[in-house]
Amino acid sequence: MGVILRNLQKQVPLRRARLRKDVETLRHILGIQKFDLGIVCVDNHRIQQINNIYRKKNVPTDVLSFPFYEDLRPGKMPLPLHRDEQNLGDIFLGVEYVMKQCQEESLDLHGTLTAVTAHGICHLLGYRHETEEEWTEMLQRENYILSEYNRLTGRSLEPLMKRCSQDR
Amino acid sequence: MLKSVVRAVGAAVRISSVATSTARTLPLSCPTLCSPSSATTRPFTRSLWMLNNNGASSGYRPKLFSSKALNPSISCGCGSLHTEGDKAFGAFLSDEIKEELKIQKNSNLPKMSGGWELALNGTEAKLSRNVAGEKITVTFNVNNSIPPNFEEEAEQGQQKSAEEEPEIVSSPNFVVDVTKRGAKHSLVFDCHFPEDEVSHAEGEEESDIFAIREVSFQPEGDTDWKENSYTLNTDALDWALYDHLMDFLADRGVDNTFADELMELSTAAEHQEYIKFLENLHGFVKCN
Repeated sequence: MGVILRNLQKQVPLRRARLRKDVETLRHILGIQKFDLGIVCVDNHRIQQINNIYRKKNVPTDVLSFPFYEDLRPGKMPLPLHRDEQNLGDIFLGVEYVMKQCQEESLDLHGTLTAVTAHGICHLLGYRHETEEEWTEMLQRENYILSEYNRLTGRSLEPLMKRCSQDR
Repeated sequence: MLKSVVRAVGAAVRISSVATSTARTLPLSCPTLCSPSSATTRPFTRSLWMLNNNGASSGYRPKLFSSKALNPSISCGCGSLHTEGDKAFGAFLSDEIKEELKIQKNSNLPKMSGGWELALNGTEAKLSRNVAGEKITVTFNVNNSIPPNFEEEAEQGQQKSAEEEPEIVSSPNFVVDVTKRGAKHSLVFDCHFPEDEVSHAEGEEESDIFAIREVSFQPEGDTDWKENSYTLNTDALDWALYDHLMDFLADRGVDNTFADELMELSTAAEHQEYIKFLENLHGFVKCN
């Protein structure tokens, strides 16, 4: 298996190959290549729907993660017993929401999607940002992932968590 | 077989539309002459054994079935067969056509965005555009373009009110031809709408809106399909390569927006053809 990528929206002209390549780079950095991962790109309507159903927040957002392993300690690698368990879960990318943010802040769409995906993968690996301590831990992890990504690709992405801090 | 032939999805199923009096479901074998409600049937008055007539010289040829229904019951000068069943059929078709015209959203076909030109030849549609010297054509056929899962929904729909009945959507297979200027071969993509993508329930979509099934090089122009051309099947394809192929199509205007608009166009065209068929059938059956 690997990364299953689905594009269910038509608002944003998505470059599938670019997104897949970036996700493969993130997987390589995290050492999670043997785990399957689902990336589903959706529009505001759909992400708002999912946000409402699962988090009772009736607004669109940039990313929602659905971990396969729900009680992982942050950063602890899952130990699957069977091939069926070699799955980290699914990430829904609110690409329309992200595109609007990029337009407002003059950011590159696909670079931002990669940073958002890194954030989503961290959630699949047990990271949270409910408490100050959790937030610091997750920010450190995202910083590491994206600095490695930047080193490998020559790009300069910033963690989503940094933008989260502006909202706190 | 022409290059642009599109594979059929499966048997077409017609279901009742929102107006309750339409009956768009056609049985696979239509009743012909003996409509149970209208024909007069005569019970056998002779034993079958007695029909085994050895008197060849009598010149008498027994008939197994002798029914009023087989004898013209409506006098007409055209010389064709007209039965009570035909009359009932014609009346039924009149009502059916009226109802279908009522629910027809627009007698004009919806326009595609992106500068696509449409050419219709019966049930076959061809969309074409030029992009920087490349010619892109998309061909599809509205025949057999309604997924069979509508049949299941129709059965369930019998318990629902008219407002809850599902709308018929045509999601045809389509073939994309990309021809570069001066090239002898076109790159041909055989595409389809994965079935679960046309589910009506909100939030149940899991697949991409449309998918590529096969890719091959074929001689440019409407020549026969070359069976000995290598055909790339996407079932077991590297996913990165698949994504590049999807990006390739998107750059040429075949993206999710296009796919949605194609479904709308196909649905309207299919409905149009269905109404035309009913009208032709009505003309064929009815006594003029």
